[in-house]
Amino acid sequence: MTQGSLLVARGLSVEARVEGERVPVLRGLNFALAPGRVLGLVGESGAGKSMVGRAIAQLMPPGFRVSHGTMEFAGADLVAMPAEHRRALLGRDIAFIPQNPQAALNPMRTIGAQLDEHHRRLGVRGRRVLRQYALAALAAVQLPDPAGMLARHPHQLSDGQCQLVLIAMAFAGRPKLVVADEPTTALDVTMQARIVGLMQALQQAHGTAVLFITHDLRLAAGICDEVAVMYAGDIVEIGPAAEVVRASRHPYTKCLQLSNPSFAGARRALYALPEHMPGLRALGRLNGCRFAPRCPVKAEYCLRSEPPLEGEAHRSACLRPGLVPAITVASSLAPAPWRPAGETPVLEMAGVSKRFATGSWLRRGQMEAVRDVSLRIAPGEFVAVVGESGSGKSTLGRLVVGLEQPSDGRIVLAGQDVTAGDEAARLHRIASVQMVFQDPQAALNPRQRVSDIITQALEARNARFRVREKRARELLAEMGMALELGVRTPAQLSGGQRQRVNIARALCNGPRLLVADEIVSGLDVSVQAQLLALLHRLRQDHDFALLFISHDLSVVRHLCDRVLVMHQGAIVEEGPTETVFGWPRHHCTKALLAAVPRG
Amino acid sequence: MSWVWRWLFPRWLRSGRVMIGLALVLPVLVLAALAPLVAPHDPQAQDLMLTLQPVRLGSPFPLGTDVLGRCVLSRLLHGASLALWVAVMASLGAMLLGTALAYAAGYLGGWVDWVIGRAVDVWMSFPPVVLSLILMVGLGTGSTSVILAITLVDWTRFCRVMRAEVMLVARCEHVAAARLLGLSHWRTLLREVVPATIPLLVTLLALEMGIAVVVEAILSFVGMGVRPDQVAWGQMIADGRDALYQAPANLLAPVAAIIVTVAGFNLLGDGLRRTLDVRLVEGAR
Repeated sequence: MTQGSLLVARGLSVEARVEGERVPVLRGLNFALAPGRVLGLVGESGAGKSMVGRAIAQLMPPGFRVSHGTMEFAGADLVAMPAEHRRALLGRDIAFIPQNPQAALNPMRTIGAQLDEHHRRLGVRGRRVLRQYALAALAAVQLPDPAGMLARHPHQLSDGQCQLVLIAMAFAGRPKLVVADEPTTALDVTMQARIVGLMQALQQAHGTAVLFITHDLRLAAGICDEVAVMYAGDIVEIGPAAEVVRASRHPYTKCLQLSNPSFAGARRALYALPEHMPGLRALGRLNGCRFAPRCPVKAEYCLRSEPPLEGEAHRSACLRPGLVPAITVASSLAPAPWRPAGETPVLEMAGVSKRFATGSWLRRGQMEAVRDVSLRIAPGEFVAVVGESGSGKSTLGRLVVGLEQPSDGRIVLAGQDVTAGDEAARLHRIASVQMVFQDPQAALNPRQRVSDIITQALEARNARFRVREKRARELLAEMGMALELGVRTPAQLSGGQRQRVNIARALCNGPRLLVADEIVSGLDVSVQAQLLALLHRLRQDHDFALLFISHDLSVVRHLCDRVLVMHQGAIVEEGPTETVFGWPRHHCTKALLAAVPRG
Repeated sequence: MSWVWRWLFPRWLRSGRVMIGLALVLPVLVLAALAPLVAPHDPQAQDLMLTLQPVRLGSPFPLGTDVLGRCVLSRLLHGASLALWVAVMASLGAMLLGTALAYAAGYLGGWVDWVIGRAVDVWMSFPPVVLSLILMVGLGTGSTSVILAITLVDWTRFCRVMRAEVMLVARCEHVAAARLLGLSHWRTLLREVVPATIPLLVTLLALEMGIAVVVEAILSFVGMGVRPDQVAWGQMIADGRDALYQAPANLLAPVAAIIVTVAGFNLLGDGLRRTLDVRLVEGAR
């Protein structure tokens, strides 16, 4: 199958030195990418998928090196070739589309200057010719007003527009291979759909081969010809995209799909894989199948012997592939236990607006982030706020918890008006509403122990050390975390554990309403499934309401009873989740729904 | 046994700069503290029969004597005790004044930040040496005046740098989270903001001590520093100039002492910046 392939990895292995130990990060990867085809590398964080892209450019992080194997591009080994040969290929025959578009552009130079520099490297000469090329490149990615765009700096563009510029650059030299490392992860749903569609169109128009690195199996299934699923440095399954998704032969692939909330069909419970992907240090000590410790169909011998990658076009590395189709989620999702009672709503907003001053004192301007929003949340109700980035979702959340003061309107929390923002309102707010922040890395003090962080609400009431430790143990148990994690600092936790600590801290005082801003968006699918299950369980035990701000409509559909769609600061549509997603009326809702990847 | 090792040799020590810095600074500190005990003579005792003695180890005057027949070694040691006393007190003073204002400006923001920021701007527009000389004229000579002068000149250095750091930390979500959980402003500041700024504070403090040693030497060199009955390195340099050819140790000994002390503090500060800052330590991994 490697005949006539453009990019071939033969036994590619990467090794890292961690505290004097040699750890295998990639183990004997074999794959081939034919010209004009799209290969998806799918895996959660820590699977080693980005390392493959770095091996192509030979930009390894310090301490990492290719220990065995080759990475051949058009017959020449990229690992062994002299650096100047590789540099001649990179940017011309091999182009990269990065994950963080803002960081990939030089903030000090205009888009036009950067495009010209790239074109000059490709051999284009002459001012007017360069300008024509730049305009053509921007037109190819359908950026509005290409002439005006050339004079702008990266910070004047949105993330999505920057990514479009980078895609234009990547395809400018008619490369044979484009490596795209999570190109849409940092973008919102509508932009994501646009970028993916555009990449597909350019790929087909020029017959470019694409190596598409992503954590989203559904997205990969939609645009790739072939998909390779990676786990802890191994390819565990590789084959035609449709087959890998419909007839998975590896339990990990199957579990990934089951833990991703579906967008079509009935709501179902999510498969929650236990634990998390082994970290760099643990990799060296694993024997047998690396997935075995988390595998639902493992046998005792899986822990001892390593499965080879077997099969013809569709290969998988599992000793018991026959059991994979039988993996299902134990129970279907019970209908939401929430009962709309006639009690006072936990949150009532009436005509709330928020305006921010913009510009300097010479030219005052106003930006209306939230416009005349009225809403009610009943006790125990899970309400989602969806919308594109910049639609005012996050500002709405900050208004509810009191991080921002409304310019107009009234906010009533559990029967008490807190619009004034005085000390009495603050105390009432603290008791009734809490916020779970988006990025646990920034939201947890890196210098405190987990037990101290989660019981911080008790510190405000001068609770004793013993009381706090007791509450900390209760909270840890409720979050399904081991008690000994209490003495660790956030840096010593995994991403999922950190987000649990984040939630535990907000629940410490037993609030009536939680405001959660994108709390699962940065997480891997399997960890996300664990957290969503946790939220469902906590709701039954504690009966709190949730204002869930998200751009992931599948998660919203799985978790929330009601949904509010925001556009330019105003709520344009609201209703029960099933109704809004099933029969959208506003064009914004329709656009959001159309952008959801379906696989 | 690993905890013993870790206790004796914590992570912030594990850097060449910190070790060398401490190796230079600690002996100076110890000798300065014990100056009255280890100095062989009274630093002010004159013996006009034994002026400008050469350096000879083993003699009653190992580093020789000056024009008035005073023991150079004893003067050097007593000078160290004054230099470090001034350095420590002036740095602490500048730190307290500068950081208090920096926390207020960085955490509260708004008009408080504006007023403090403008005050720092105006203050820094005075040339520091001229400002300290003017202050000394107003305050009169003496070590307390020197401490006060350095404090009043150098608080801006702390204020500028710390304000930026406090602003950075105060914008972190964990600070907002602490407020939402009901912690008062005081407690939020003490628990969430201050610990994050300690590494920078320690670093600035070490650097400031080096600066204070130099400023104190300058002031006493021009005769605007300590009273005539106190011994200071700057004063020794000024006196030693006259006998540079007859007894070079009179000049070179205090110069070397200043170099060693200031280099030690600078290395220590630079090393601590690298080892104490969580971000730099974790970034390197």
